[in-house]
Amino acid sequence: MSDLPPMTSVKRWLVTTNHKDVGILYLITALFFLLFGGVLALLFRLHLWESGGIGLLDGSEYNQAVTAHGFAMVFLFLSPFAAGFANYFVPLQIGADDLAFPRLNALTYWFYLFSGLLVGISFFQGGTFAGGWTMYAPLNVPTYTPAMQATTGGNATILGLTLFVISITIGTVNFMVTIHRSRAEGLGLWNMPLFTWSWLLTVWMMLFAFAALLAALLLQLSDRLFLTTYFAAEQGSGLLWAHIFWFFGHPEVYIVFFPALGVMFETFQTFTGRRLVGRKWVIIAMVLVAVQSFLVWMHHMFLTTINLEIKTLMMATTIGISLPFDLMVFALIYTMVKGRVRFTTPFLFSLGALVLFILGGITGVFLGAVVLDYEFRGTYWVVAHFHYVMVSGVTALVGGLFYWWPKITGKMYSEALGKLTFAVYFIGFNLLYFPQFLAWETPRRVFHFAEGMQIYHQISTVGAFVFGISFLIMIGTLLHSLKYGPDAPDNPWEYSRTAEWAVPSPPPLENWGGRPTYATGRLEFVDETKAATDGGVAHGAEADAVGHEEEHADHASIWPFGIGVATFVFFLGLSGITSYLVEFADARDHAVVGAPDPNIVYPALTALGVVLLGVTLFKFGVEEFNAPEMAIAERWPFEGVGNTKMGVWVFLASDVVVFGAIIGAYIFMRLHHGWGEWTTVPFASWPGLLNTYVLLTSSFTVILALVFAERQNKKGLLGAMGATLLLALTFMGVKAYEYNYKFQIGEYWWTSIEHSIYFVTTGLHALHVIIGVLIALFMIYRIVSIDAYMEDHRPVEFFGLYWHFVDIVWVFLFPLFYLM
Amino acid sequence: MADVRTYTLIYVALLVLGTGKFAFFEFTPYDIALAATFVLAIAKTLLIAGYYQHLIEEPRSITYMMVIAVFMVLLLTVAAGYSIQ
Repeated sequence: MSDLPPMTSVKRWLVTTNHKDVGILYLITALFFLLFGGVLALLFRLHLWESGGIGLLDGSEYNQAVTAHGFAMVFLFLSPFAAGFANYFVPLQIGADDLAFPRLNALTYWFYLFSGLLVGISFFQGGTFAGGWTMYAPLNVPTYTPAMQATTGGNATILGLTLFVISITIGTVNFMVTIHRSRAEGLGLWNMPLFTWSWLLTVWMMLFAFAALLAALLLQLSDRLFLTTYFAAEQGSGLLWAHIFWFFGHPEVYIVFFPALGVMFETFQTFTGRRLVGRKWVIIAMVLVAVQSFLVWMHHMFLTTINLEIKTLMMATTIGISLPFDLMVFALIYTMVKGRVRFTTPFLFSLGALVLFILGGITGVFLGAVVLDYEFRGTYWVVAHFHYVMVSGVTALVGGLFYWWPKITGKMYSEALGKLTFAVYFIGFNLLYFPQFLAWETPRRVFHFAEGMQIYHQISTVGAFVFGISFLIMIGTLLHSLKYGPDAPDNPWEYSRTAEWAVPSPPPLENWGGRPTYATGRLEFVDETKAATDGGVAHGAEADAVGHEEEHADHASIWPFGIGVATFVFFLGLSGITSYLVEFADARDHAVVGAPDPNIVYPALTALGVVLLGVTLFKFGVEEFNAPEMAIAERWPFEGVGNTKMGVWVFLASDVVVFGAIIGAYIFMRLHHGWGEWTTVPFASWPGLLNTYVLLTSSFTVILALVFAERQNKKGLLGAMGATLLLALTFMGVKAYEYNYKFQIGEYWWTSIEHSIYFVTTGLHALHVIIGVLIALFMIYRIVSIDAYMEDHRPVEFFGLYWHFVDIVWVFLFPLFYLM
Repeated sequence: MADVRTYTLIYVALLVLGTGKFAFFEFTPYDIALAATFVLAIAKTLLIAGYYQHLIEEPRSITYMMVIAVFMVLLLTVAAGYSIQ
């Protein structure tokens, strides 16, 4: 039983950690951001009615509207909308009770919501970020934009995106562990439903791609908040940003599209009454795309100064990535040919998505060819292609909304209204985007175009409103269903085969009446209570398993929401501290022109955010919250490692890419500068060597702490943790001495690109040390207050995993910054 | 889990390897020091990850995941570096 308030209570939605509730929150919030981004699009489409605009927006407002539209749709709507379905249905499809870490799942949602609020608020802080959704350098830093006054709003936008990426990272860890370790007995990877497959590959791509984006955003924030010069350097800045951003940005296309593809596979199977043709090959094709997605990023840089050899290579890999997609498209078409199609609303949307995607895909191949890209780059061809691909994904996801609506709400919708929605949607879509191919010579990002293009732009604007109306009809259809729709049966669609259709609509809080199993090759439910009491069937491990299954699972915690609020306050405060840094720099003969006036509210909010974060994280840490691991589950290839330990490793894999990209930025800028021309910033190499000894010794004391914990030796554990803490503080002391030495001779992080890179990279490492110090302090408090880790020493091991990673990073930073 | 003796030996080895990096740059030509330092850094990383983080005792899939992460970093750095040669 649950301690959750009823669904009609507001409190329920603030405290819930249940995956279905979180899924609903994601879906509703994502739809809100869809409307937000859509209204912005209607604004600038109206402005584009005539060349030069109709006076609705000035230049800066136009840039802000276009940029915010991109952020809202790509980040705040598309992936979170898919995440809503994934939250609701992935656990159901694999036979799990919930996600592996329910509280982290709730935290993921709150970080997402507050990241969107930060982007929204930025409009009221002198203007939101206006440098385009790709945030190209040097326009992504205030120095090179005409409106330095917009610094605060721009900062808030970038901080919002950073919070969004943190949310994605936590969600990635959660889904990686869940899908790999919580599949029902007998559910091997090959037999997983295709939507879950698509989401699994999505989170694998997210793990590495979003880590690169986080690195890029952290560097940009460092420039914006602390006045470093990564993206304002005379040479190399633009290329540096483009490399890191597109290393994320191209996989992002597939990250956004894969869940839509998963919906298409599910609905095609259900509404043709046939298993997907070439199912195994489709899975292999998806894996290939996921791998190849990281090998094509420089096709976004054909017009930069990268060399022709690498451009040619990237052209080949780009054409190569279209081949697995061909296979998937033909598999869908052939499934229709072999099956008996039922043209329901979800199927119509999926079929429409396929048609639109084919057009979007083919027009993209043009852009992958170097010579053609020279012509098309920066034109409306790109805009049209991009929207045909991305919004075909939206089309399939809308199909998914109609497909799963009866399961989520327990209500059927009107097919007539659903089909009307599709008709208006499909006409509106093509009216909006197809003329943009015809007007391809129009330059992107401006509202001036040749006279002959006007008719296409006007048709496009009319199409935008038709398209917008289709979403209003969709919302009306769904509201009508909620109020007047007949009750939905467990499985309203004949031939749907995935597990979510085997439970009531909507599913109960605990998902299953009995334990789902595929041991016999088909879905069955084992009555565990009967097994344990009737005839003594359960023995040994199985009996233990039954015991675990009966453990009470918690579904409510207020602390994820609390941490979300605290982080929001902290980030909002950070958005306005640049002015103080400018004053600080001014006093040290580094003039920054045009900074906004300081506002004491921002430092106050920052301080308040730190306090709130301290309180809420502490409460989160000490809260008793039970989320039992499934006792019987398929876990290949991650059996033999617990959920939490696997989660820590997945997080570390992500952190490897964050740090790696930042270290890579150093190597790239040094190569660009001339390796031998680079100035070494530290005043001597001995502080680096000393800190090497200090950190290595702290790694040794952490491992001793684990040994003492295993031996249940409280004094030894306390001593080892205390020694680790002291060594960490010693490390920070040496670092402070080094930094202070530079400050005394008038060298700061803004002094040169060498200084920026040194201070930021070693500073990020120091931030990791500080986080380690805080965790160690918390653990020492727990050891002293409740004899923690005597019975269960695993948290000491998890802390050690993190701490050793911090040590490994230093293994590379020491020679790179102090010796080379 | 290894015993305290093994952990101690690894700690001593790590200290020696760390000192080695410093010594290479003090006493050998730059290019040799550069190459040797990378070898030492990789050796240190393998020791820490293998024994202190117990990767050798975990399922191989964890190692593969971390190798993929490192590969991603190398891919980005090497390809980006090559693109401006």
